[in-house]
Amino acid sequence: MIKFLKLYEKIGIFIFLVAGSIFLSIASPHFLQSDTILNIIAQGTYGAIVGFGMTLAITLGGFDLSVDAVMALTSVFLSILIPLIGIPLAIFISLIVACFVGLINGLIITKLRVNPLITTLAMMTIIRGVALIVAGGRQIVIHEKVFMEVGTGKLLGVPNPIYIMVVLFVIFYFILYHTPFGRHISAVGSNESAARISGLKVDLIKIFVFVLVSFTAGVAGTIRTSQTLIGIPTMSPGFVLVAITVTILGGTSLSGGRGNLWGTLFAGIFISMIYYGLNLIGVQIFYQMLSVGIVLILALFIDGIRGRYLETLKAKGIKV
Amino acid sequence: MGKEKKGGMRERFGRQWDSFVLPLLFIGLVIIFSILSPAFRTAFNLISSLRFTSFIAIGAIGMAFCIMNGDFDISVGSMLALVAVLGSSLLPAIGGVPAVLFTVVVSSFLGFVNGVFITKLRIPAFITTLGMMFIYRSLAYIYTNNTPVYIENKFWLFLGNGNVLGIPFAIVLMLLCYGVAWLLLRKSPFGRYVVAVGTNREAALLSGINVDRVKITVFTLVGLFVGIASVVISANLGSANPGMLGQGYEFQVITAVVLGGTVLGGGNGNLWGAFFASMVITYLKNGLGLKQVDSYWQFVAIGLVLIFAVSMNRIKFTVLGQREV
Repeated sequence: MIKFLKLYEKIGIFIFLVAGSIFLSIASPHFLQSDTILNIIAQGTYGAIVGFGMTLAITLGGFDLSVDAVMALTSVFLSILIPLIGIPLAIFISLIVACFVGLINGLIITKLRVNPLITTLAMMTIIRGVALIVAGGRQIVIHEKVFMEVGTGKLLGVPNPIYIMVVLFVIFYFILYHTPFGRHISAVGSNESAARISGLKVDLIKIFVFVLVSFTAGVAGTIRTSQTLIGIPTMSPGFVLVAITVTILGGTSLSGGRGNLWGTLFAGIFISMIYYGLNLIGVQIFYQMLSVGIVLILALFIDGIRGRYLETLKAKGIKV
Repeated sequence: MGKEKKGGMRERFGRQWDSFVLPLLFIGLVIIFSILSPAFRTAFNLISSLRFTSFIAIGAIGMAFCIMNGDFDISVGSMLALVAVLGSSLLPAIGGVPAVLFTVVVSSFLGFVNGVFITKLRIPAFITTLGMMFIYRSLAYIYTNNTPVYIENKFWLFLGNGNVLGIPFAIVLMLLCYGVAWLLLRKSPFGRYVVAVGTNREAALLSGINVDRVKITVFTLVGLFVGIASVVISANLGSANPGMLGQGYEFQVITAVVLGGTVLGGGNGNLWGAFFASMVITYLKNGLGLKQVDSYWQFVAIGLVLIFAVSMNRIKFTVLGQREV
């Protein structure tokens, strides 16, 4: 049973993914086509990309609720900057702006010692307000059609967002599992005071992680903006729920210290699969939000039961 | 000796903090806006703003219990929208009083559900209520098919718009709620349990307090007060809109409680502080609105107030050398 639980933590999401695939291939004759599958993966990229950042944050023992506002801010900056300075520079500066928000988050959390949840809850509102102010409360249309290539273009038949996701995955995987910095993130997440006493620069690590989270949100915002060619200050309200659900469903432990990036990647695709399935049934868009909420509670439910089981084992003196 | 004296001063400073800073802040705010805006300083505006204060202040009671208990609930805004559309849609069928009771009972039940999830599965409150926030909101959309419910029932409308002896009924209701909550917090064992669990969960558990039951009751209380607030707010607006109602409510309520001097992370709190902080937030919003400031700036302003409040509490405790006040 312990082995099963440990295994579940690592690959639990595969069970969901396989079950979902089997169900969908029975329900829809179009599911088992490369186009459909690539589309589902491409739609899952936003969740997965922001999920990578969120995985680092949760591994660190924090959260970032401001990601959807950062996406909106990036979108607004892109739409304003592209006509002025061209696409590559506009993307670059918008991502810098996104990172800057993360820097502010990190500074407030570490230097003013404010709880990360409250900080990012406040920043969510502030940044959403700033996005609306910068855009003047309007949606801004982008006329450069070339920009659309970023989110909708294909290379060798595979949509570009998938490449972006894979590149980011490799980078984050390397950061989390193969650098001292990644180990430090886990250390801070497992036991912050121990990490501090052993001489880690906890504040610096935290700030850097929050910058990375905002960076991933910026990337997701860029992809979304390029797909619609509109700068939307109210973009993707509630997206933070998807990002956190993806991370927890992927097996990253809520108590911090253990991140599971593979899980995040596949959980992102799984959420996209749910959306596809709901579209098949033809339900309204509100059901998407409902389903993500239910999946989150379900994932927490399983996480909670697993925690309780391991606790009783520990109480019995069995080594876990 | 000198050191002791300094400590005494620090302590006194900390004790005085909550009781004088917020009223001062409030008076300062009212004076500034009264100078800036002729529309602000009318008696009508000042009284109707007090009515709007009750919207935040009633919800802040439950949240104050919740934060003292060491958790917080961010599903309150969506819960408010869901119970408002549920209750008001039943108005034509079952009439005013039963519909109000139904609303309050359903919201208490939703709070109870939150509590059960949090305690029995040991999921952190924040993440559970984050999930619930979206579930409640989408249920509100689905139930109404995204169309607002218009309210015509006199009793329901009275709760948000009516006057008793010239005083808005919402204010009377708010003061009543605060009275009951104060009794509950300061004069009943339950209040002491809440503070005990928030201060040190393990110690509370070991001294025989049924921590789970206290937590579930606290979340039920959050639901109860959200239910009352939802009736008052939807009555004032004359309709219950599943998308707009309670948007950002959790945020304003948490800001009120924290600005009121209750420290995040649990422990003893300040109920009246939450009340004064609700006034500060409402009059700030009202003043900015009357000065024709973009509503987007109001988001920014309240966000900054929240961060300011939390770091102020932090600084206060640092000054006091991390001691309980």
